[in-house]
Amino acid sequence: MSQYHSVLPIAEEALQHTLSHMLPADADDGDLYLQSASSESLALEEGRVKHISASSRQGIGARVIKGEAAGHAFTDRLEPAALLQAAKSARAIAGDGGNAAPVNIHAGIAVPSLYQAVNPADGVDFSQRKALLEQLDGLARGLDPRVRQVFASISSTFSDIHIVRMDGAHLHDVRPLVRLNVSVVVEENGQRETGSAGGGGRFSLQRLIDGDGPQRWVREAVRLATLNLGAHAAPAGTMPVVLGSGWPGILLHEAIGHGLEGDFNRKGTSVFADKLGKQVAARGITVVDDGSIAERRGSLTIDDEGTPSQRTVLIEDGILIGYLCDRQNARLMGMQSTGNGRRESYAHPIQPRMTNTFMLAGNDTPEDVLASLDRGIYAVNFGGGQVDITSGKFVFTTSEAYYVENGVIQYPVKGATLIGSGHEVLHKVSMIGNDLALDPGVGTCGKGGQSVPVGVGLPTIRIDELTVGGTQT
Amino acid sequence: MNGATEQLIAIATEAGAIHADAIAVANSGDSIAVRNGAVESVEREDSCGIGLRAFVATPAENHQKQGCGMAFATASTSDLSADGLHKLAQQVIAMARISEPDPDAVPPIGADHPSQAELHGWQQTHDHTNAGWSLEQAKAAALACEETALAYDHAINNSEGADAGFGSSHMAYCSSDGFAALYHKGSASLSVSVIAGSGEGMQRDYSWHQALHAADLHSPEQIANEAAQRVVRRLNPGTMASGKTTVVFEPRTATSLLGHLTSAINGRAVLQQRSFLTDALGQSLFPNSVCIDDIPNHPQGLGNRLFDGEGTRCHSNRLIADGVLACFLTDRYAAKRLQQPPTGSAKRGLTGDIAIGASNLIWQPGTLSQQAMVAEIGNGLLVTELIGFGINGITGDYSRGASGFLIENGILTRPVQGITIAGNLKQMFAQVTHVGADLTWFGSSAVPSIAIAGMTVAGQ
Repeated sequence: MSQYHSVLPIAEEALQHTLSHMLPADADDGDLYLQSASSESLALEEGRVKHISASSRQGIGARVIKGEAAGHAFTDRLEPAALLQAAKSARAIAGDGGNAAPVNIHAGIAVPSLYQAVNPADGVDFSQRKALLEQLDGLARGLDPRVRQVFASISSTFSDIHIVRMDGAHLHDVRPLVRLNVSVVVEENGQRETGSAGGGGRFSLQRLIDGDGPQRWVREAVRLATLNLGAHAAPAGTMPVVLGSGWPGILLHEAIGHGLEGDFNRKGTSVFADKLGKQVAARGITVVDDGSIAERRGSLTIDDEGTPSQRTVLIEDGILIGYLCDRQNARLMGMQSTGNGRRESYAHPIQPRMTNTFMLAGNDTPEDVLASLDRGIYAVNFGGGQVDITSGKFVFTTSEAYYVENGVIQYPVKGATLIGSGHEVLHKVSMIGNDLALDPGVGTCGKGGQSVPVGVGLPTIRIDELTVGGTQT
Repeated sequence: MNGATEQLIAIATEAGAIHADAIAVANSGDSIAVRNGAVESVEREDSCGIGLRAFVATPAENHQKQGCGMAFATASTSDLSADGLHKLAQQVIAMARISEPDPDAVPPIGADHPSQAELHGWQQTHDHTNAGWSLEQAKAAALACEETALAYDHAINNSEGADAGFGSSHMAYCSSDGFAALYHKGSASLSVSVIAGSGEGMQRDYSWHQALHAADLHSPEQIANEAAQRVVRRLNPGTMASGKTTVVFEPRTATSLLGHLTSAINGRAVLQQRSFLTDALGQSLFPNSVCIDDIPNHPQGLGNRLFDGEGTRCHSNRLIADGVLACFLTDRYAAKRLQQPPTGSAKRGLTGDIAIGASNLIWQPGTLSQQAMVAEIGNGLLVTELIGFGINGITGDYSRGASGFLIENGILTRPVQGITIAGNLKQMFAQVTHVGADLTWFGSSAVPSIAIAGMTVAGQ
């Protein structure tokens, strides 16, 4: 496949001119962020691929940072006049001081790419994608006669970004992202249930189609839906919980990940703000955020400020040792950016965000972890979660879970929300499996109205106490 | 902008579309955030885009295999140049030719459009682009709001800041049957979020308001005092015993119940059997005192609209009439398949297919104050915050994280957090015991306090 060649979508002179008018002499930081993004999506329902859509958008975000203040303006109009207007708006946070010295735009430090610089849709025409969805529909219906509805979608996005920093350094990244989702509705004796599965990452659609993922996800969706047909009410109350490996890592994302983002800690609004160097988890627990894993959904060659992504250890053997930082929060806290400055697009301001967040493996076998459960819940898969970073209360909701007695699975239970405290829950982890797995590439994280792709991972773990929000008392 | 949509329809028709509709959107806005008395951020938006939906006929040779319906596709771009519009039209038509035809497809012709006189009348009464604020005025409001909240009580010792924003949006819609219309809308908002307590005892709460004009916003002091009162009263929370109890949703949390109801009566979800209310039309879902309306022209509603995303004239819909589910929300496609009149509920973004959503939702209030409800209930839980997404739309199973206040012997006694509330939405709707008089607007929905018996709390 041919590599994609990108050029700045606007003349270098115009960018230079804009920078010099945007940046006051006493600015701490600032940049122009030029993005051209396109996406394509096909969706099947009721046996027909009748929703095909595409979008393309390009624009420029202008940013000025001074102390704790940030000015951000964007325009969809790639014209020098619109750009200059955005630059002036971004400068509104600064005083009337003189302009910064003019800079020459030059290539920034080259960073080896973690993914191919391709439009992921190249080489796979619409009819090929349509045929795949139709094939998956047939597969799902053939797997179980109780399947009544099949929804399948395949999407690709392609984002070409240029960052021109205050010092003129020009950084460039081309980010492919693909995703396939399947969900089914099953019905038996008038009772309906649903199950879904999917995956993807930063690679080409061809790879997604050629792999065995789509067929596996169909089987998984049908298995989950039919399993839920026989689910009992979940218990209500506080009890031990075993989390399976992989996507249940959303626990880490909600319970501690957001609470360790630099902005909340600089401002003292996170329950973790005064805990650096302190024990926040049981010994043996190590949690990292790693944006530098090749082709993962949450990975970035460089973040949206041009900082190379990295592996950041957040908790080492139970001790909190790091926060996730963008450039502004790092500077204000006397730290280094960890390459976690992210934005949904040029139309959004930079925030410190997670990439791929996971716990390292321990020594227990997953079988032993499950066998330790006298009476409790074994939660294998989850839907979404949410956290209040100030009180530390977090929730996540099961989509596949079982009631367990004496280490033996008794029956599946309906979806229930689990609730705990981020600063307490990791102290209660008493067993860590040797089976670390990352999720299949489906995570999207929301913060302050911005959505970004992320990943999570977890080995099988036992938590001695978590509140399970079922209906059975 | 109307020019661009009409031009795009012409280009699409020339390129092979039998029917098409287009929307164009342009937004501009400013917002300012202050924290601890200083400006933290200034943001400026200047966006534009155009979206096209084009229908093509199934080739005759495929009629036997595919039926003789029409197929369509959608696409959008931020490139409004002539070249950009041509590329967009060609892309959409190429995609539509691959898309599978649907015998029930409803092309954008012959909708019940509003008349020119109605459009003109609406523009006179509703259109405005000036939210009534300058950046300096917004900054002053944000500063006053945060300062008042921080000064409210010595327990309030930190701030996530106050945010004031204003802007305008312009939306043009045009369909190939000749209907073309333009909307202008301005709005302003003010919010504040403050923190009380320290370390692991910290609590945060917030308040916000949004209105079409800055002049209609709650005062900075009112917003500040609400956030401050809320954060102080939730300090030092405990937990509570697990068990069945009556839950009172204050208006802020009760809005989510309206959201769950409208998701379940969304005609598209009903057609796809993805709703627990698929078979519930005409059934008594709530006690017969409950009425819920979709009202597209309400003096306080931010969801006002003359026509929907397909150009269909909007009118009021009583969704729940004396407790009975009276209709599903529909666009023209869902209406045709469900054999009911369209409710004018098509929602159209730049990208993607038409979605379905209400205009302004109103849960008609009862006569009791929240205090009187709490007194009548005696023992239970007042829920003031919900987190998480534990709703199964297909079964109605409900389980969410909650915080609030314990109700003991008819009064609120102490704050609780770290608990969940669970039930099944269909049973919850049937077990509404009280509807408050305290109707409160949140953007495009208005709801009073609602009490529901028989929910399960998981705590200690």
